[in-house]
Amino acid sequence: MAEMHAEGGADFDLSQFYQIFFEEAGENLDQMEQILLDLSLENADDEELNGIFRCAHSIKGGAATFGFADVAELTHHMESLLDKLRRHELTPVPEMVDVLLESADASRSLLARHQAGEQGEAPSTADLVRRISELASGRVPEAPAERPEPKPPAAAAPAVQTPPVASEPAPAAASGERELMVRVGPLEDLSSADVIKELFRDIPGLGTIADAASEDASCRNFQVTTSASNDDLLDLFAFHVAKEQVRISVLAGGDIAAASDTTEEVPYGFFPDAPGSPGAAAPTRAAQAAAAESPTPAAHKATPAKAADAKGGAQAHVESTTIRVAVNKVDQLINLVGELVITQAMLAQNSRDLDTAVYQQLLAGLADLDRNTRDLQESVMSIRMIPMSIVFSRFPRMLRDLANKLGKKVDLVTLGEATELDKGLVEKITDPLTHLVRNSGDHGIEMPAERLAKGKPEHGTITLSASHQGGSIVIEVKDDGRGLSREKILRKARERGMDVSDQMPDADVWQLIFAPGFSTADVVTDVSGRGVGLDVVKKNIAALNGSVEVDSSEGYGMRVAVRLPLTLAIMDGMSVGVGDEVYILPLSSVVESFQVNNDDVNTVAQGSRLVKVRDEYMPVIAMEKIFQIPRDSSEKSSNIMVVVESDGSRIALLVDELLGQHQVVVKNLESNYRKVPNVSGATILGDGKVALILDTSSMVRRARH
Amino acid sequence: MQSILAVDDSPSMRKMVAFTLTGAGYHVVEAVDGQDAYEKAQAHDIDLVLADQNMPRLDGIGLTRKLREHPKFKTVPILILTTESSDQMKQAGRAAGATGWLVKPFDPNRLIEVIRKVMP
Repeated sequence: MAEMHAEGGADFDLSQFYQIFFEEAGENLDQMEQILLDLSLENADDEELNGIFRCAHSIKGGAATFGFADVAELTHHMESLLDKLRRHELTPVPEMVDVLLESADASRSLLARHQAGEQGEAPSTADLVRRISELASGRVPEAPAERPEPKPPAAAAPAVQTPPVASEPAPAAASGERELMVRVGPLEDLSSADVIKELFRDIPGLGTIADAASEDASCRNFQVTTSASNDDLLDLFAFHVAKEQVRISVLAGGDIAAASDTTEEVPYGFFPDAPGSPGAAAPTRAAQAAAAESPTPAAHKATPAKAADAKGGAQAHVESTTIRVAVNKVDQLINLVGELVITQAMLAQNSRDLDTAVYQQLLAGLADLDRNTRDLQESVMSIRMIPMSIVFSRFPRMLRDLANKLGKKVDLVTLGEATELDKGLVEKITDPLTHLVRNSGDHGIEMPAERLAKGKPEHGTITLSASHQGGSIVIEVKDDGRGLSREKILRKARERGMDVSDQMPDADVWQLIFAPGFSTADVVTDVSGRGVGLDVVKKNIAALNGSVEVDSSEGYGMRVAVRLPLTLAIMDGMSVGVGDEVYILPLSSVVESFQVNNDDVNTVAQGSRLVKVRDEYMPVIAMEKIFQIPRDSSEKSSNIMVVVESDGSRIALLVDELLGQHQVVVKNLESNYRKVPNVSGATILGDGKVALILDTSSMVRRARH
Repeated sequence: MQSILAVDDSPSMRKMVAFTLTGAGYHVVEAVDGQDAYEKAQAHDIDLVLADQNMPRLDGIGLTRKLREHPKFKTVPILILTTESSDQMKQAGRAAGATGWLVKPFDPNRLIEVIRKVMP
């Protein structure tokens, strides 16, 4: 970074701050959305309005600084509207919430595009800007899309004529007009700025405009006399020239504003008699100042300082007690702790046979090391844990939009938001959960009339909950909608040629909805039910070593429970020996193990073997065969069966011996080597040997199909 | 080394300002809002204050007013960063005892230029 430290005049590379800005803007947008969703229009409190305003304001400031003009422009308009709201110059209406939410979405996509290196087409914000401007001028705009073109300038005139109440009332508004120098450029075609002159001709009361000399051949200068504020002028010009191309400076009418530089807005200045003012260096009238001579601050009554915002204050407090750390640093820490755990295990193993009398101190030290390592591991793992509220927080907005679109009434209840989950899992569970919630809103919850007819409350309820159960986290999506129809599912399954019977237990019938391409929706809606369905959800969850359970009662709703391991980095495993090799089975998939007699195993067609366990036949997989393990001697042979289960199906693995149960640190094999069939990862054992972790769900799938 | 108290509730702006000023050879004390700045101002030797205007808890002008009440900050230059270069804001800043203002967005070089002009 040293190259950036050059003294004044250096080219500063602002791109290093982009990431921080993107994260910050994302948080601000989240917060804005949150407040907007909670906002009660009848009695919106100042704190909330100030909070939303500040979010837009912060994003605008950052976007402008870091050069994301499109984001800055959109958020500027949002800010103007919000400013009027917080000053109570306008009363909030639902259309405002809608347009602000949509604008927040648009800002998000614009930011995402910048983050992705300007890839893809930038979403158009013209319509949003038009709607915001109309709302800000006190009118309710027409619905979007109907009029995608920006309003003709003449029609926008009333917005300008209203008293300048925006964020910065024009200085001389009360006494009348200001004289401004407006520079437009650089332009490819100078005559393209003529439309600005026409604006002044077309809009009565806007003021007067005249050409002025310009020293820059690519720019046009105009001398303008107007009572409109800079913001209003910029908004008006924005229909014709890019905002960045317009510079407004005050020639007369403002009493402090400096006018020395006529072609640029004065970017800074010093107050003439202010404490700490420089001598003659300032470019403004401050030059005459007798700097630090008059340290007395002027009357305190002069400014109505903006009320401190308790909510914002709380946020600032949180910020000062947390630090932002790159995920890869945390992952590196976790990796190192993983290595430490392995080293510790190795020491423990090697010291097992030491004479406790002789090595008392060493062994006591090793015991401490053991305990500290475990604590350390736990602490480090907790860094990666983030609360489920991060995932849940996206659903209020999604359901609101969904309910609006479908004309349904849906309440969302969230429980257990503080339940923590590994960050990696959170990222991967978000999409499947979104799918499930959407499904509930779309197919589960009935239309209000239908609900009333059934004697249910008009508002449907979707409950999202998260809780810890043992070493897993269980996330439930529950609705009080129409539930699953057993007949419909069975009928559909038969149509698709699936092997089903009327005697199937409910649980098995519900699992059918996870079959590829299966949809019980009668209508394909815009929202869900387009074939990419629950099978993807199930596959994604299975890939996280998780499982999905469904429970439903027709007419009363359904419940989908997703069970996940707490983390992907550490796993409870059972180690088994085959030949000289050691393999790890995820303990969660192990059902039972037993010693097998040769006559319990039946060989069927193509050499496949089956074993009967408690009246159930299951395929036998000989580990030494699938991993081609060499045998040095013939004395040892596999005679232990380990039954593993995945997706409700079981297989029996034939191994030599059971070695033990322990927590293993999962290392990704794919990123270090390549994908290996039947293997999901690797770990390092206490003695330093590498053991492969078996992908039991894919083994079960392979054996069963 | 001269110390600058940089106050902004936006982490990215704060980082940018701190990076710029550190590069220009100043020591930077960061604060997340006016209240935090006021507390940090008591604890450090500060040669110049650079404060954002719009912040939670205590804004730039409010911070200026509070600082000026202290003998220690009677003559320390205080610059307000603002997105509004409106005269109303300027008058409020001046009344509170601010030394000057700098309009956001600004270029890092411009920031250094302004700081050099007022740094005692």
